[in-house]
Amino acid sequence: MNPVGVLRSRIDGWFLSRRAPSDTLELTQRNVYILPTRAGWTLGATLLVLLIASINYQLNLGYLLTFLLAGSVAVGMHVCHGTLRGLAMHMMQPEAHYAGAAAVFRVVLHNTRRRVRYGIGMAVRGSGQWAWTDVPAEGTSTVEIAFQPERRGLHPVPPLTAETRFPLGTFRVWTVWRPAAQMLVYPAPEAHPPPLPPGEPLSGPAALTASMRAHNAGEYDGVRAYRRGDPLKLVVWKKAARAQATGSEDLVSRDTQQAQREELWLDAQATGLADTEGRLSRLCAWVLMADRLGVDYGLRVAGRVVKPSQGEAHRRACLEALALC
Amino acid sequence: MNRVMRELASLPRDARDTLFLLCVIGLILLPQIENLPWWCSALTAMVLLWRASLAVQARPLPSRWWRLALLALILGATYATHRTLLGRDAGVTLIVSLLALKTLELRARRDAFVIFFLGFFAMLTNFFYSQSLLTAFTMLLALLGLLTALVNAHMPVGRPPLMQAARTAGWMVLAGAPIMLALFLLFPRFAPLWGTPSDAMVGRSGLSNSMRVGTIAELALDDRIAARIKFEDGRAPPQSQLYFRGPVLAQFDGREWTALPSWARGAQWSSNLRVSGSPVRYEVTLEASNRPWLLTLDVAQRPPEVPGFEVSGTPDLQWFASRPINDLVRYSAESYTQFQSGPLKRVGGQLQAYLALPPGTNPRTAALAAEMRADPALAQADTQAFVQAALRRLRTGGYTYTLEPGVYGNDTADEFWFDRKEGFCEHIASAFVVLMRNLGIPSRIVTGYQGGELNSVDNFWIVRQSDAHAWAEVWQEGTGWTRVDPTGSVAPGRIGQFQRLSPQPGLFAGAIGSMSPTLAQNLRAVWEAVNNGWNQWVLNYTQSRQLNLLKNIGFEAPSIEDLGYVLLYLLVAASLAGAGWTLWERSRHDPWLRLLGQARARLAKAGLKLPETTPPRQMAQEADARFGPAARSVRDWLLKLEAQRYAPASPQSLSALRGEFRRIAWPSANPARG
Repeated sequence: MNPVGVLRSRIDGWFLSRRAPSDTLELTQRNVYILPTRAGWTLGATLLVLLIASINYQLNLGYLLTFLLAGSVAVGMHVCHGTLRGLAMHMMQPEAHYAGAAAVFRVVLHNTRRRVRYGIGMAVRGSGQWAWTDVPAEGTSTVEIAFQPERRGLHPVPPLTAETRFPLGTFRVWTVWRPAAQMLVYPAPEAHPPPLPPGEPLSGPAALTASMRAHNAGEYDGVRAYRRGDPLKLVVWKKAARAQATGSEDLVSRDTQQAQREELWLDAQATGLADTEGRLSRLCAWVLMADRLGVDYGLRVAGRVVKPSQGEAHRRACLEALALC
Repeated sequence: MNRVMRELASLPRDARDTLFLLCVIGLILLPQIENLPWWCSALTAMVLLWRASLAVQARPLPSRWWRLALLALILGATYATHRTLLGRDAGVTLIVSLLALKTLELRARRDAFVIFFLGFFAMLTNFFYSQSLLTAFTMLLALLGLLTALVNAHMPVGRPPLMQAARTAGWMVLAGAPIMLALFLLFPRFAPLWGTPSDAMVGRSGLSNSMRVGTIAELALDDRIAARIKFEDGRAPPQSQLYFRGPVLAQFDGREWTALPSWARGAQWSSNLRVSGSPVRYEVTLEASNRPWLLTLDVAQRPPEVPGFEVSGTPDLQWFASRPINDLVRYSAESYTQFQSGPLKRVGGQLQAYLALPPGTNPRTAALAAEMRADPALAQADTQAFVQAALRRLRTGGYTYTLEPGVYGNDTADEFWFDRKEGFCEHIASAFVVLMRNLGIPSRIVTGYQGGELNSVDNFWIVRQSDAHAWAEVWQEGTGWTRVDPTGSVAPGRIGQFQRLSPQPGLFAGAIGSMSPTLAQNLRAVWEAVNNGWNQWVLNYTQSRQLNLLKNIGFEAPSIEDLGYVLLYLLVAASLAGAGWTLWERSRHDPWLRLLGQARARLAKAGLKLPETTPPRQMAQEADARFGPAARSVRDWLLKLEAQRYAPASPQSLSALRGEFRRIAWPSANPARG
């Protein structure tokens, strides 16, 4: 990196560190910045040429035009600054996302003024992915800011920036905002994962309970993922119908014997991969697969253990464990 | 009509915005049409229409090659028309064509900006040709349109109605107007920074420095104003004496009268002006003529004072400015209506130039002169008697004054005296002078304006191009040059304006005129008074007026620097006002929020720190949990505060709550409970 770049990123870091992170930001004179755009400079040059033409040809009407235009631009500068000044921004708690997948932040903009604020763009700072909105008079509007989380884990929300060039495009008014919210990023699920690992035999009291349950219930059926060669009568058609309704092609087979004696553990060791992130990706894909199949599953990864269960909360607990380990 | 409106309303936003911008560009260029080369107007109109049809049909824009080809065509045609690509007229042609061409390339934001900036230039170029009130109004509309388009381009969401953008643009222009006014009044007026190209001077007609028989008749159809005169204390001489002196022409080639070259005039003698009576003082507002001469009432003894110009006089009593008058100027002058000038005696060949005639022309006029000389009644006659004889012939010989004299042949004087016997003032004056010269009397033609009319609204005398006139001056031993107006003999009404020959009015003016002649007259008087106000206060706002303004606001001896100081003071004052406004705006927080903030501060003092976003109900709960019964009144008050804001019908006013806020017992810093 060249020295100028280093200096620039240093200044940038210092500049950012001056602002305390907060989930609500009210824009005032102190945190709204304004500079002319390139079009603004060009308009300035245009005004100069108009002035010189008026002087050289002694056109009093030319003076009037030049000065009226200059006055309008000066008022436009004030209007531009006023578009952001006084606006309140509130960060909605971001949902958890998968690394590498497109995701959005939701920011609510509050306008207490009696006039509409037009043309406000928001983006993750430096991303250039602008989301534009108008904020109605004495109302709110919600902006969805696109971003793509890179790494799993619990991260602070990246600094955001709001910008407007309304009304003339001659000035850029912007602000930089560090939201205090944290966002959870799950590992990216592997695109084409291998089938779920085989179940592990039950042992100890758990095995006893299972066998007792089997005994009492007579014929308790567990389910497992459909494997090639499973006879058709073993397929749970009810679940198949439900799965197809949600767009999945996965089939589930009855697992009459094994269900009592085995349970599904998704173990980092079982992935057969050496690379930690690769393992987590595969585990993530397996968690999602098992969740879709509606079977009980447990997770063992990096010393964390999530006991076998199923359901939305369970899935979330597993993904959280994967994100944070 | 409704169908068109509906279709416009259903256009996609892109097409609508493009059409609007094209309309604004059309409005900017429309007043220029007559000043542009025909190909430029045609090309511009075609390109704009083409672009509009592309927008409506949502078809793709033409390729780069099209644009390059058109650009080459424009450059070539401009060069062919103006023989240059620089200079004013070529520049205007280029700007207009490029503005139209650029609309074919409306892709990126940058392209749009180029259009806007070219548009501002194109607006200014209108003022080269006209700075009238109408032009100003049109351009104000165009500026509003251009700003509306610019604002609309910065509303990226949805399809906002254009009215919304127009309102913002209107507000900006309205709020920018005081800035314009301050800058216009106080921005120091300089002389041109460098010489303007000479083609800046074409395009405005009026009297010229030569008189081809027939040219003044053309002017008679021209209703434009040449000058406005304001007499001191409203004491104007009688209308018949209002001769405004312009170029003096003494050299004749048979068809065209021109001024004598200065060497032929004889530089050794002065005007030798002798005046009598009391002078008339007045102020002239001269419209741009692109000629250096200054109009004065016949005759000004001292040079008129024209700000920014040096003025010099000629022996034939004409006043010249140091450069052409290419903008409105105003000056004051002093004239004597009774005067004589020139030498009293002929010395040598001094006046020979005023007797010269092209040989072989107008033989019948020469014969007429010989006949008059041989007339026994005029045997011992002096100049005066010959003049009277000629005038008598004009009066009684069946000569008429007409606006449509037809086309004269080569011997104009002969045709006038013997064949047609009708003509406009220049025919009459020319024929008269030719006769005088044939009689051996030194004589010359003076062109200028005669008469004018009083605008009763603002008491300015208005002199129009149609008041252009030509009369004669003859030299007589002992008295010098004397004015003779032969037109007065043909048509006594012409002098004094009682019955002016005027061209047929247009259809509309005719309709108003036939309904009520006085109404038409009054409307015209008001309109011209408004126009005059515009000229006096806007177009003629010069450096001297700026300094006068400073004098009026208390400067002893104002200078250009003082203008800068006043601007600076205004800037400082405006900044202070802006800062004050910001402070005031900051203090204008929601009163309910302010009260909540005060409550939060009180609780913080008592040891309960709550984040800023805590709503009153939660504050009440927290206070309850922390202080217990000691905070009961606080809790109740907070709940009332909540109800005041959110309950459908507020039970209590905010000011009552504020009073209560002061009365209730706030918990102390040492909480009752651990």
